[in-house]
Amino acid sequence: MTGLAPSPRRDWLPWIVGALTLCVLVAFLIYPILKTVLGAFVRQGDEPSFANWTLYNFERFFVAATYKSAVRNSIVVSVLSTVVATLLALPAAYAVARIRMPFRNFILALSVIPLVAPPFIGAYSWIQLLGRSGIVTQYAADWFGITLPPIYGLFGIVLALSLSFFPYVFLIVQGALSAGDPYIEESAQVMGASRWRILRTVTLPLVTPAIAAAAMIVFIKALGNFGVPAILGGEMYVLPTLIYFQVHGFFNLNGASAIALVNVLITLLAIFILARINRRRRFVTVTGVTRKAAQLDSLGARIFANAYVWTLLALSLIPQIMVVWSSFAERWAGTTFPTEYGLGNYRQVFGDLFQPIQNSLVLAGIATVMTVIFGTLLAYTSVRRRFVGRWALDLTVMLPFVLPGVVTGVAFLVTFNDGWLVLTGTGTILVLAYFVRRIAYVFRSVSASISQVDPKMEEASTICGATWARTMRKVTVPLVAPGILAGAVIVFATLISEMSVTILLYSASWKTIAVAIYERLASNEMPAAAAVGSVTIALTLVLVFAASRLIGRSMADMFR
Amino acid sequence: MAHQLAIESLTKNFQTAEGPVTAVDNVSFGIGGDDFFTMLGPSGCGKTTTLRMIAGLESITSGRVVFDGRDFTRVSAFQRGIGMVFQSYALFPHMTVFENAAYGLRVRQLGENEIKTRVQRSLDKLGLGGLAQRHPSDLSGGQQQRVSIARALVYEPTMLLLDEPLANLDAKLRVQMREEIRRIQKDLGIMTIYVTHDQEEAMSVSDRIGVFDRGRLRQFGAPSEVYADPRSLFVADFIGKANFLKVGIQAADRNSAKVAVRGYAPFAVARSVTLDSEESVEIPAGSDGLLLVRPEHLEIAAGVEGGLPCRVRRIQVLGSFIRYIVECDAATREVTVDARRAAPGVSEGSNANLGFAAEDALLFARKRP
Repeated sequence: MTGLAPSPRRDWLPWIVGALTLCVLVAFLIYPILKTVLGAFVRQGDEPSFANWTLYNFERFFVAATYKSAVRNSIVVSVLSTVVATLLALPAAYAVARIRMPFRNFILALSVIPLVAPPFIGAYSWIQLLGRSGIVTQYAADWFGITLPPIYGLFGIVLALSLSFFPYVFLIVQGALSAGDPYIEESAQVMGASRWRILRTVTLPLVTPAIAAAAMIVFIKALGNFGVPAILGGEMYVLPTLIYFQVHGFFNLNGASAIALVNVLITLLAIFILARINRRRRFVTVTGVTRKAAQLDSLGARIFANAYVWTLLALSLIPQIMVVWSSFAERWAGTTFPTEYGLGNYRQVFGDLFQPIQNSLVLAGIATVMTVIFGTLLAYTSVRRRFVGRWALDLTVMLPFVLPGVVTGVAFLVTFNDGWLVLTGTGTILVLAYFVRRIAYVFRSVSASISQVDPKMEEASTICGATWARTMRKVTVPLVAPGILAGAVIVFATLISEMSVTILLYSASWKTIAVAIYERLASNEMPAAAAVGSVTIALTLVLVFAASRLIGRSMADMFR
Repeated sequence: MAHQLAIESLTKNFQTAEGPVTAVDNVSFGIGGDDFFTMLGPSGCGKTTTLRMIAGLESITSGRVVFDGRDFTRVSAFQRGIGMVFQSYALFPHMTVFENAAYGLRVRQLGENEIKTRVQRSLDKLGLGGLAQRHPSDLSGGQQQRVSIARALVYEPTMLLLDEPLANLDAKLRVQMREEIRRIQKDLGIMTIYVTHDQEEAMSVSDRIGVFDRGRLRQFGAPSEVYADPRSLFVADFIGKANFLKVGIQAADRNSAKVAVRGYAPFAVARSVTLDSEESVEIPAGSDGLLLVRPEHLEIAAGVEGGLPCRVRRIQVLGSFIRYIVECDAATREVTVDARRAAPGVSEGSNANLGFAAEDALLFARKRP
């Protein structure tokens, strides 16, 4: 052989990496889920085995009024929130995509704020506004003599959830509406179709898959949300709050598992219905048309679009504004407005609230690094390697994406409370739960990036004699770095204030931001909670903004 | 009844970041009956914008589109009764071939049976009979193209507009499809406006051609007329291959001009065009005009005596004719000679001479200040 031949050795690394990734998935995702499913079918305290098999834990869904109403409430809340969020978002998406509007990018960036702000603290703002002694309630009564519906219960939960989650529909559908081939609608126009007919027969059918997918995200988020119904629920229980009640009240993990299972069944049912709706639809292949979609320019349309979009944005940002405002309140007891303003709450943030903030950053940081490493490797394997059972890998990774957070929490409690690995009360259990809950974000983001990289580039590197690790390090990873970073930032930003899984798994030594806020809200210390909330919102926004600048994508793009 | 379309002083200004741009500048022409009219020009010349204004997809800055005496300017696109084929075909991806073709009929609220018969007839005419239940994504590029033509013709529009319909097809299919489009067009007797940047395509199918350059309609006429009698350097150069010889003008009257290529005896040229001030600049210093001689009108012979001396760079045997690429001092650039048969003694690198008949030449004279 001549001069520059590479050393002839077997490249074992991809296999080792693959096996390691598989072990992690099995140990922290598949095993906990299986154990939860099994646990749901035995009584509290019994060993999971066929001998102890029972449907006892499910009986309550047919007997106990709390359980029956929790199932009904969960479905009603999620369906209503999804419908309201979608109906609110669609006109806004159409307006921003198809009507000439100033500050388009600014609108898109603003709409990201409700997604990064923790929804439960926003929920508390609605109490301040619309609660029994809320600001709006009092003015409505004093000036107009109107009695508003009580904020506690269905009205408040649906209001808070739909205003927090509508941006998913808004951003996704807006993207689909601006990306389509403008000639398709023009051809309908030339054939004699009116504007309304085109909207009905062409525009809407073409974005229906996007609407359905976005509505699905809202539904899953709403169904799994713990914070909002915990604060606004009052006497009304939904499945996640019922699970919390079972765990914190009775530490009945088997009962909680059964509720979790019912929760998952509802999610799966919804996904099944979506798949049925989408079955006969084809996704549009976006052509390389450089022309943008035609934008309406009439004065009436523009006035209406601006009024609608800005009103919606203002409504959805009210909770965040309230949070920031009340964080400056020094004295606010028994009055409509605070009587004294100051920075006292922020001094507290750097005093006794510093520990939770530090905890959140550490836990979220470690979990993010893990999701990046394993999410990237899995995405690479899934996109580049052809192997039997690839669908199973994809499904496994995406599973936590559809599992409500409380369910993951229950699964971790059930699994790591005893047995071969005891983790309850540690920071590790939080990190691992965060990891499995968010790995899908990195997986999706990186998969999309990798499938856009020509495999021939990697082949060229291999032909030149580079090992797999070197090719990954020098070619693949640099090319997909924007995708990795985008995924990582979303993971980190959403983990800082993660609530649903934390509330079940935290311990006294590992309180996070979300727990600290929740505790203060529970003891009516809104200004202190608001200060932490404001710091969190600011931190997350700065992070997302910096990352979007670094990657050269808009902030809104990162959430699509 | 034969339809008439008149375009009167059509102008389109766009606002861009760099200021206003005139995309279409004072364009006027008229066509009628079953004319196949092609708007031809390089990209960005305004031909597509003109087509879109005729379709009603683009607002008109000034001027009028008049169809059968009716001013179309304020009529919206969906009321004009036009059929249009787009470069990207613009088929509805969520509908079957049948539903795509039926769209215009459903808009016109025809009965279900009527729709079925008409769509089937239209699909059969384009050889798509068996594909009615397929989706566009299952079809080849050529088939998608046929569907978009069927869809545009099914409701018997008064006018068919085609915007670079063949740009996405391969060379062989392109030739086949353009003949088919013309056959169907003549069959139905439908007035057609076609946009392309491919001059061969334009020449082969059109009854009339309009050559566009930087927003202006430079020349309007039958393909043979535009080729043989171009009214500007741009048209001469854009349609077919053009050789330009630098000449001095010794005398000129209304009927002929006496011109001379440097170093040769003057001769009379009967046909001449006086250039506008913009193109006059393109005539090299030291010359008074340029003489256009088409490649098929040049003759090449061995030896430097007897004609314009030149040096042979390249000989391409192209089947039905032989193309010589030669260098000649009198020409503005490389000269192309298309000969029916090989000239004896002429080989690559050898010296040769060029000759032509004076009646085949067209003089472009500089505008007198």
